[in-house]
Amino acid sequence: MGALAEILFGGLFQGSLYAMMAVGLALVWTTIGVFNFSHGVFMMLGAYLAWQLVAFGLHPAIAFPLAILATAGVGWLLQATVVRPLIGRANLVLVVVITTLAAGSLIENGVLTIWGPRSKQLPPLLAGNTMIGSIGVSLHQIAIIVVTPLILWALWMFLTRTRIGLALRAVAQNEDASQLVGLNVTALYGLAFAIAAALACIAGIFMGGYRFMSPVMGADPLLKALIVVVFGGISSISGPIFAAYLIGFFEAACSYYFGLYWTPALLFAVLILTLMVRPEGIFTSRGRGLA
Amino acid sequence: MALLAVEGVCKAFGSLKAVDEVSFTVAPGEIFGIAGPNGSGKSTLFNLITGIPFAPDRGRIVFDGDDIQGKPGHAIARLGLARTFQRETSFDGLTMFENVLIGASYGKPDRAAAAARDAAAEALEFVGLESRSFGRLAGELSVFDRKCLMLATAIAMEPKMLLLDEPASSLTRPEIETSIGLIRRTAARGITIVLIEHVLTFLMSLSQHLLVLNQGRVLAAGEPATVIADERVIEAYLGTRRAAA
Repeated sequence: MGALAEILFGGLFQGSLYAMMAVGLALVWTTIGVFNFSHGVFMMLGAYLAWQLVAFGLHPAIAFPLAILATAGVGWLLQATVVRPLIGRANLVLVVVITTLAAGSLIENGVLTIWGPRSKQLPPLLAGNTMIGSIGVSLHQIAIIVVTPLILWALWMFLTRTRIGLALRAVAQNEDASQLVGLNVTALYGLAFAIAAALACIAGIFMGGYRFMSPVMGADPLLKALIVVVFGGISSISGPIFAAYLIGFFEAACSYYFGLYWTPALLFAVLILTLMVRPEGIFTSRGRGLA
Repeated sequence: MALLAVEGVCKAFGSLKAVDEVSFTVAPGEIFGIAGPNGSGKSTLFNLITGIPFAPDRGRIVFDGDDIQGKPGHAIARLGLARTFQRETSFDGLTMFENVLIGASYGKPDRAAAAARDAAAEALEFVGLESRSFGRLAGELSVFDRKCLMLATAIAMEPKMLLLDEPASSLTRPEIETSIGLIRRTAARGITIVLIEHVLTFLMSLSQHLLVLNQGRVLAAGEPATVIADERVIEAYLGTRRAAA
């Protein structure tokens, strides 16, 4: 019973973080058709901005939303500077991998220069600990498990029920036809990047509340998000969400039974197998398209 | 006054002059046909007018009193210029209704949500798509239905002018008959139509004016009957068709 509870809880918790990261990555891929390799840096920057605002004396309830907005702005800016001017070039995917990596590296080192290497920590969403059956957990972790599905649900409703969401889904499918019906594709690209950055910032706030922050804290979540989207299928946002939780549970089970040391190796073995059997991901069909 | 005036428009791809000094005017309310063999620059001309995916290298395009060359594609669309593609193009992962709703919402951005939904439903019914299939994904439709869907999306934008790129391609004969009727009814709504086709009979039965392109240049223009009697048209257009057959 203890084992099952531990795996379930660990899986839900890790899955929440992965889902939050992977959805942003998938959103950018489906709308613009590029991989944003500065997505992990958005997460880190978001956490640092939140930390700074809290350090200024703002209450987290004000500081966190401000940080999310600011990170969304940075996302939009990054899109306008290192992605949009390149749209239409040959090898767009590869070129954008390089430009976003470069921009990410600049931001990472900028953060290091401004805030220094000393570890920092954000206040948790909820302070305190509790027991679930036999395992002790922090209320912060429980908050993450509860809040994440709500945010993802809100994103889903935004994409499927609103006019702008419909426009984003349309751009994801056909750029020329989108312009022909009067959609401002450039603005929608900016919006997709801004939303993705905001989601990354939320993941950063989650992470900064239970682990020490550092300028490289986004690297591992980015890698995990990449695994999630490859595993779940990049061509939608529902695929990565399911995959994120599946991988969360897989990791939790592996670390329980085989130890943390073997978990990455087993994860990559599963990933390679997935790529061999279903290269388009396990939850989706080929081709791009949101929702 | 002309609704659309194209003056000396040029577009080159490297050394190939795809569209070379093309000029013509389209009067409001008419059906204007553009003919020409494959590769004569018909679709490129539509690309230049709509600005998607590229604008002309040189020349001037005036639509409803506005200079539109060089404007972004979505801005041109919102001025009331709609287009359909030769290959049936839709948002495949969206439902039929969502496809048309995008045209209704963004082609006329000042329209309220409820009005946009009404306009979308009306446009779908106008082209003959049944309301019980509104929830089907566009990608699952037949070629003819997808062409109708493309037309409905354009009509939902309430454009002043509609550019139709080979609406009859890959359709069966009865479907072509239906299309001709549909295009006539679209024109009767007050939408000026510019029509590309290389099936001449289709063009002859619909258009009031005809323009023939060959190798990017205007070969002949005027009344359809006069144009197809032109020596150069017979040589360049029908001549090559006979040779191909």
